[in-house]
Amino acid sequence: MKYFFLIIITGIIFIGCETIISPELQNAEPLLVVDAWVTNKPGDQTIILSQTQPYFENKLPPPVTNAVVTVIENGTKTYSFLEDPAKPGYYNWKPVGNEVLGTVGASYRLTVQVGSEIYESTSKMGPVPPIDSIQYKKNDPNLSNPDFYTAQFFAKDVIGVGDTYWIKTFKNGIFLNKPSEINVAYDAGFDAGGPFFSRIENNIPILVDFIPPIRNRINPNDTDANDNALSPYIPGDSVMVEIHSITLQSFAYLRQLAEQTNRPGGFSELFSKPLANVSTNIANKNPNGKKSVGFFNVAAVSSKGKKFKK
Amino acid sequence: MKSILSALILCAFSALSQNPNKFTISGYIKDATNGEALIGATVYVNETQGGGVTNEYGFYSITLAASNYTLRYSYLGYSPTIKIVQLDKNSRFDIELFGEAEQLQEVVVQAGIEQANVQNLEMSTNKLDINTIKKIPSFLGEADLLRSIQLLPGVSTVGEGAAGFNVRGGSVGQNLILLDEAPVYNSSHLLGFFSVFNPDAVKDVKLFKGGIPSRYGGRLSSLLDVRLKEGNSKKFEATGGIGTIFSRLAVEGPLIKDKASFIIAVRRSYIDVLARPFVPLLQDGGALNFYDVTLKTNYNINKNNRVYLSGFFGRDNFKFERNQGFSWGNATGTLRWNHIFNDRLFSNFTAVYSNYDYSLQFGRTDNDSFKWNSVISNYIFKPQFTYFLNNNNELNFGAEAIFYTFEPANAVGVSNGTPTDVSIPKKNNFETSFYISNSQKVSPKVTVDYGLRYSLFNYYGPDSVYTYSNENPGTRRRPISSQYYQSGEVIASYGNWEPRLSFKVQSSPTSSVKGSYNRMVQYLHLVSNTTASNPLDVWNPSTNNIKPQLGDQYTIGWFKDIGATRQFELSLEGYYKKTQNQIDYIDGADLLINRYLEGDLLSGEGRAYGLETYFQKKTGRLTGWVSYTLSRSELKVNGINNNDWYATRFNQTHNLKVAAFYDINKRWSFSANFVYTSGTPTTFPTSRYVSQGILVPYNSNDQRNNVNLPAFHRLDISFRMEGRKIRSNGKERKNSDYWVFGIYNVYARQNPFSIYFSQNDQRVPQGQAISSQATQLAIIGSLVPSVSYNFKF
Repeated sequence: MKYFFLIIITGIIFIGCETIISPELQNAEPLLVVDAWVTNKPGDQTIILSQTQPYFENKLPPPVTNAVVTVIENGTKTYSFLEDPAKPGYYNWKPVGNEVLGTVGASYRLTVQVGSEIYESTSKMGPVPPIDSIQYKKNDPNLSNPDFYTAQFFAKDVIGVGDTYWIKTFKNGIFLNKPSEINVAYDAGFDAGGPFFSRIENNIPILVDFIPPIRNRINPNDTDANDNALSPYIPGDSVMVEIHSITLQSFAYLRQLAEQTNRPGGFSELFSKPLANVSTNIANKNPNGKKSVGFFNVAAVSSKGKKFKK
Repeated sequence: MKSILSALILCAFSALSQNPNKFTISGYIKDATNGEALIGATVYVNETQGGGVTNEYGFYSITLAASNYTLRYSYLGYSPTIKIVQLDKNSRFDIELFGEAEQLQEVVVQAGIEQANVQNLEMSTNKLDINTIKKIPSFLGEADLLRSIQLLPGVSTVGEGAAGFNVRGGSVGQNLILLDEAPVYNSSHLLGFFSVFNPDAVKDVKLFKGGIPSRYGGRLSSLLDVRLKEGNSKKFEATGGIGTIFSRLAVEGPLIKDKASFIIAVRRSYIDVLARPFVPLLQDGGALNFYDVTLKTNYNINKNNRVYLSGFFGRDNFKFERNQGFSWGNATGTLRWNHIFNDRLFSNFTAVYSNYDYSLQFGRTDNDSFKWNSVISNYIFKPQFTYFLNNNNELNFGAEAIFYTFEPANAVGVSNGTPTDVSIPKKNNFETSFYISNSQKVSPKVTVDYGLRYSLFNYYGPDSVYTYSNENPGTRRRPISSQYYQSGEVIASYGNWEPRLSFKVQSSPTSSVKGSYNRMVQYLHLVSNTTASNPLDVWNPSTNNIKPQLGDQYTIGWFKDIGATRQFELSLEGYYKKTQNQIDYIDGADLLINRYLEGDLLSGEGRAYGLETYFQKKTGRLTGWVSYTLSRSELKVNGINNNDWYATRFNQTHNLKVAAFYDINKRWSFSANFVYTSGTPTTFPTSRYVSQGILVPYNSNDQRNNVNLPAFHRLDISFRMEGRKIRSNGKERKNSDYWVFGIYNVYARQNPFSIYFSQNDQRVPQGQAISSQATQLAIIGSLVPSVSYNFKF
């Protein structure tokens, strides 16, 4: 939406031009990558350890095996993540009975031991609001694709300033994981200092709905073989929306991740931010030891699904 | 510092002891056909081999011993006038010069020996007259002032379509752009493709890159001084044209002949008008247009008093629905009064209002909407005096007071019917400065200009200010406490002495060596961390947390005139610049509507150095110039690039520009320009990793701007065809017109603006490898032809 006008101008006047190139890049030592986003959803929780690889190496990342991975709740309860014998680099925690990982308000410490190096991180589980409803609707007749069906969800921010969320969407069971589909919220809006947050005024709670761009960003950006946009949903499809509570650091990380990876190209490049490293909350216990990248977050999750019947 | 000031004053006034047998010649030099004052015209006294130059208002004053003199009044492109005087009293000579005949002359008449650059004290300045700007082949055929000055040495840009320009390794926000003394905060239309200055209304453009006179301050890198025409004081005239983007019309003429005149010039993009029948969006309240209105009027009250009123209003509108879109623009107004106290004391009093604002609006219904606007406005009062002490001393002194109001965000959002106001309180600032300088001819060969400026910047309440936590450099600092200041209370105050010095040694009649030192202070900061600056960039004043930027520049140069009529000019200039309190940003900085913006800013130091060479041919059928700059611009900021020096985004090692103009015959002329610059720095990743199914580019060495883009080069040409001067019935036409046919980027070079790294756009099933790619973007990917028609009647 932000650079919509640029697209208009591009179409009318200018002839931009993009070429895929393969420049030579500098070499770098591989670093440990920790992808540790665990939740209180029922079922197994997984932490993936791998290594960075040269930028143009289009292969699965090399796994890091034989590590010791634990998550400790409030300094007392330990959740052990054991390596999956079938999937190197995947470390799973398996619940016993109805057990789930985590409680809202609790603190967590992740420890990853790889060889002699010990990496640590901390996180906290924040509250999450329920999803009130999901609606499908046909596009406005004035829009360029009037026959498209889009979905939106409604939920209200938790009272107080500084609640941060990641809204994950699954269409027919497939997670929408394109960079352009990252959907994070700071309270009910985009970022800190914004106008959208639930609060209590004169003892009356004012609950604010997520703003439309967040409500609407549960639609896949898919195109057909000719690069024409496809209707996000058609009758028979189903959508599952999850709200994950994330820490402020995780929110900042996902925002940076979107900034750095969502590159629509064309005129938006004029105003894109220069390449910069996204942050990490994983640190080597030994400050002079090898660095690592990646993130650790423990989320509470609320979810709702809906099938699209015409 | 005080001792320097007193020494200066002493020095200046010691020169006051006047010889009673000396008399002053003063007056205005103007264009004979339209009455426009000529800026920088010279008066040369044969007998003393000295003289004077007109100031920004066309006024000159020289003091000589009683005797007989031959005075030669000249200006490039005009026929000189000789005046023989018997000087026995103070005399006022207002001179009008005629432009050289417009037709091509087979044999070049004695074009007049022009020696301005060698004999002038000024260095690091470039002047472009509007006729040259109109000849330069331009993008889509629209003569453009800001794109033209990019052909000068020491001036660069990050790429095609980027707003603003960079001078001697300084950022876009370090240029002070003055339109008739009024600061222009955003000089671009349509992002960066066109500038807001209407060529039909502009008289004169001068860029100061160094040796900046003490009467100017407020920015570190440069001063672009744009002066508007006063309007024809002899007869009515209309000029205009239809180009690919704009249609233009300017009307000027006398209000009272030779006493008062006006000019009003209007431009508007017209693509939306043409497109309206076909695009329903434009009929339903959508908009895509930009326009500007420039006007000026002046009244010659009497011999010693003249007033000028000028104004500018420009706007860009982009609405993709009735209630959704962007709009931004500048408005300025300048009132000036020139008063001549006596033959030797010239004064000018200026009052300015300048405003820049932008607004955004989103949301299809009132129940879900977001409205935001941001405004900078300022009022300026500036008394300035020039005292032509004697033939060897010219004293300049004056003051400036600027009252700023910054409104970073007036913003209200409504979600599902619940409104919230998140406006950020406005900031009030007051900047005052005083200056004095003397230009002294120490000996026939040596001239020195020494001056001092003192500036004081105050940040006033009411406002809440914050103290921030100390964090690791490069990470966000959190506000830890806040303090509220009442209305009128001083929150922060900065005072700075700004010494300025320049000298010239005339090593021979055709060559000179010049040097300068200046300290500049900048209290306003353009906060922008995108590749190119954009209309939503926010200007931020210095606060308790943001220190003013300081810059020291040293320059040395050699200037040489070559040729029998001195038709060639050569110059070499070296500069070294050191800057302090330069702003950079943490990774992931949030710059818009952020009350705690200061916590996302970093501060560091900068350095820039370079060598500029410039060779110009000024007269004949072939004119033009070659400019080559070798330079480096770097920053060092704690928390970035492992705390080591790194090249700025606009660093360019080599920068070559060639501009050529050739008169083929009476009707046709040809222009070409060629640009070659080293690619600007950018950051490339070394590695990749997968985080939550997304491929992340990563520079494991934590470097900033570690590689350079491929080189940029481009050739543009244009042909100009003058309309017939004679009708088919043999009578001379009253109107004149011309066509310009141009090709921009003749050999269709795809100059890279950026290279970005991304994952393939296809959806990747979980457990499969994601493919990565690098994409090179050229903003202009082919040649761009254009036609424009221009008329005058």
